[in-house]
Amino acid sequence: MFSPEGALDKNMKVLVVDDFSTMRRIIKNLLRDLGFTNISEADDGSTALPMLKEGDFDFVVTDWNMPGMQGIDLLKAIRADGKLSHIPVLMVTAEAKKEQIVMAAQAGVNGYIVKPFTAATLNTKLDKIFERLG
Amino acid sequence: MSTKTSVHVSLEQAKRLVEYLETDQQDKADELIAEIQSPINTALFAEIGKLTRQLHDSLSNFHLDSRLNDLATADIPDAKERLNFVISRTEEAANKTMDAVETIFPVVDSIQQQINTVKPLWHKLMHNELDISEFKALCRDIDILLKTTEKETNKIHGLMTDVLMAQDFQDLTGQVIRKVIDLVREVEDSLINMLTAFGMDSEQEKTTHLPKVGENLVEGPIMNSENRQDVVSDQDDVDDLLSSLGF
Repeated sequence: MFSPEGALDKNMKVLVVDDFSTMRRIIKNLLRDLGFTNISEADDGSTALPMLKEGDFDFVVTDWNMPGMQGIDLLKAIRADGKLSHIPVLMVTAEAKKEQIVMAAQAGVNGYIVKPFTAATLNTKLDKIFERLG
Repeated sequence: MSTKTSVHVSLEQAKRLVEYLETDQQDKADELIAEIQSPINTALFAEIGKLTRQLHDSLSNFHLDSRLNDLATADIPDAKERLNFVISRTEEAANKTMDAVETIFPVVDSIQQQINTVKPLWHKLMHNELDISEFKALCRDIDILLKTTEKETNKIHGLMTDVLMAQDFQDLTGQVIRKVIDLVREVEDSLINMLTAFGMDSEQEKTTHLPKVGENLVEGPIMNSENRQDVVSDQDDVDDLLSSLGF
């Protein structure tokens, strides 16, 4: 995922999971602005999971509250699957209960952004996530 | 109503009762018994009377509220349609705006790129380091830059107008939502009336219920986070909480 110099590989495969197409579009645009070009979309966890199992994704950005499989369950499923468990997951959600944030942390989330959020927040969290992994 | 019987048979009444029975005056004996019991009956009848009146009032109030029927069969389905309209109009506006913005991004990028092309020679010119062939090249580049900028700024202007016009949803959805709020208020009033008619005190029942949560505590955007202890109010709160957990 990282070039020898330690710089973030902007060609990494990113999956954006959100039930609202407008939010997927916003996140895609922000990621594109940060240089990421290889972005796919899914509208809930049950669509995302088979895509993750099929393709070699490097990073997941997911909402929490979605019909079908929710983001927290997607996160748990990713962590429980030996082939996927290494993928960093960033949660971008309107869910703001402390209990939920703790729940996500315990499930192994790599970052948690509450909506509404700014481009700068997304940028900071991405840097932080990959800095840690690198 | 009190269940305690307040009947007191006096010795005199008892003697009279015995006398009536001994002299075979059954009617009088019955009358005497009724007389002794009458205080209870009066209280009982009064209570039954009161309950009957209450029930009658409740039922007629309930009938009066035939508006409830209209609310359930017409107004609420209409409100659902209105709210769906809000969803589709806001989605449409978001997409129109993003269409425009996504078209503007590459345009701005191409202008930026041409500026970068011009810059080195321009820098040389400003420092009197330009030879004649470079000057010709610079003129050509600047000519291209001016032409593109002119053309593309016109395009950007048009797209910005599209972004501006996409915001017209706010007026329409605002009106629609205001109407739905009025409806919710009316339903609330009707429900309170009903509770009152059935003798339930809505004020007394008012408790500080938290909004209903779904699976995994899902609640959606929090409206009044400053009044709640169990939620974070912004990203800084999230970061603080996570770092307190060792993140």
